[in-house]
Amino acid sequence: MSKLKLEILTPNGEIYNGEALSVTLPGEEGEFGVLSEHSSLTTLLDAGVIDIEKNDKSIESILINWGVVHVDEEKIVVLVEGAVAIRGETQSDISKALENAKELIESIKDNNPAIATVSAKLESAAQNLI
Amino acid sequence: MANLKDIQRQIKSVSNTQKTTRAMKLVSTAKLRRAEELARRSRLYAAKMNQVIAEIAGRIKCNKVGGIDNRCFTEIETPKTVDVVFVTADKGLCGGFNIQTIKTVKKLLAEYKEKNIKVRLRGVGKKGVEFFKYNEVELFDSVIDLSSKPDKEKADKFIEASIEDFKDGKIDGLQIVYNGFKNMMTQELHVLKLLPVDTEQFDCNEEQKSILEIEAEDDEKMLDSLVNRYVQYAMYYALIDSVAAEHSARMQAMDTATNNAKDMVKILNVKFNKARQAAITTELIEIISGVESMK
Repeated sequence: MSKLKLEILTPNGEIYNGEALSVTLPGEEGEFGVLSEHSSLTTLLDAGVIDIEKNDKSIESILINWGVVHVDEEKIVVLVEGAVAIRGETQSDISKALENAKELIESIKDNNPAIATVSAKLESAAQNLI
Repeated sequence: MANLKDIQRQIKSVSNTQKTTRAMKLVSTAKLRRAEELARRSRLYAAKMNQVIAEIAGRIKCNKVGGIDNRCFTEIETPKTVDVVFVTADKGLCGGFNIQTIKTVKKLLAEYKEKNIKVRLRGVGKKGVEFFKYNEVELFDSVIDLSSKPDKEKADKFIEASIEDFKDGKIDGLQIVYNGFKNMMTQELHVLKLLPVDTEQFDCNEEQKSILEIEAEDDEKMLDSLVNRYVQYAMYYALIDSVAAEHSARMQAMDTATNNAKDMVKILNVKFNKARQAAITTELIEIISGVESMK
């Protein structure tokens, strides 16, 4: 299977730039997955978790609060406003990332029904890591 | 010949100025490093955002996406009122940094006046606001502490008013003028047309690689929200870019001032020595002629 190029950008810099097997994005209308050679599309993303399946089949999760994704044949560009990558080498790193992620969720003030699912996803992503 | 005391006083005052300007340069250098880092990190995001918007705008222009009639993406042929937002610094002592922006704004105002287009001037930064107030140019509104401490929330609120007015049809255009950071030595003036989204560079005859599909069912809502974010971010980016440029301009201005002060101290020292020598010579002549007369 060919690989797709993925770029995730925040106002504070790049958070992910590399290849991936597939990526799952929290679209406004619901979650959707993108594989390589997906047809072009542009859509908004809601608060949620981006799951990236990396080349070694491991999954990396990145929490976002709002974004827009632009997919074309060559690559996927995701522009997000706030993002926290849930990753880390040690347990303390992971728990720190989790704390940051929770802070980000707190900052999304409006009554977004997506938030409940986001929190649940976050916990499970963290479980997988530990 | 000037009084010795006077010259001494002058030397002291110039070297004091030199100390101040040197300190200001150091402060600016430190601040520049931080501001530039912030601007550099955001640059990529801003560029990609522009790219995405430009692509959507281009496709809408070329009628690749049917049934979308959004005011933000339609060229307005006879604009009546236009918002011009300018960003200047809150402080002076940074060379031509502020005046460059002001000059460009004045030129824009003249251009619009010729075309009979009403301009609502919205100012950010004390220096520019003061200038236009002093020259009795009407400002639609202004904020003062935003340009020295860019704050995303405040910037959003400020520009939101223009976006709303544009969508309501109260204004037909939104432009932003600011002096941005190019490198340590130079600043670059930017005049950006934010609304309606500039589609001029887009060539419809060019073969398109792919077809755009907009996923959300409510296209209008998505475009609206996207345009909001785009304009808000452009405003915020203008602010942080402007801060970086301000510090680089001030650093340079203060460097020049320090050098000038150094030169001046040198000249004054020579002058002081000459005056001192002249005084000694006069004294000697007086003594010698006194001795001569006693003979």
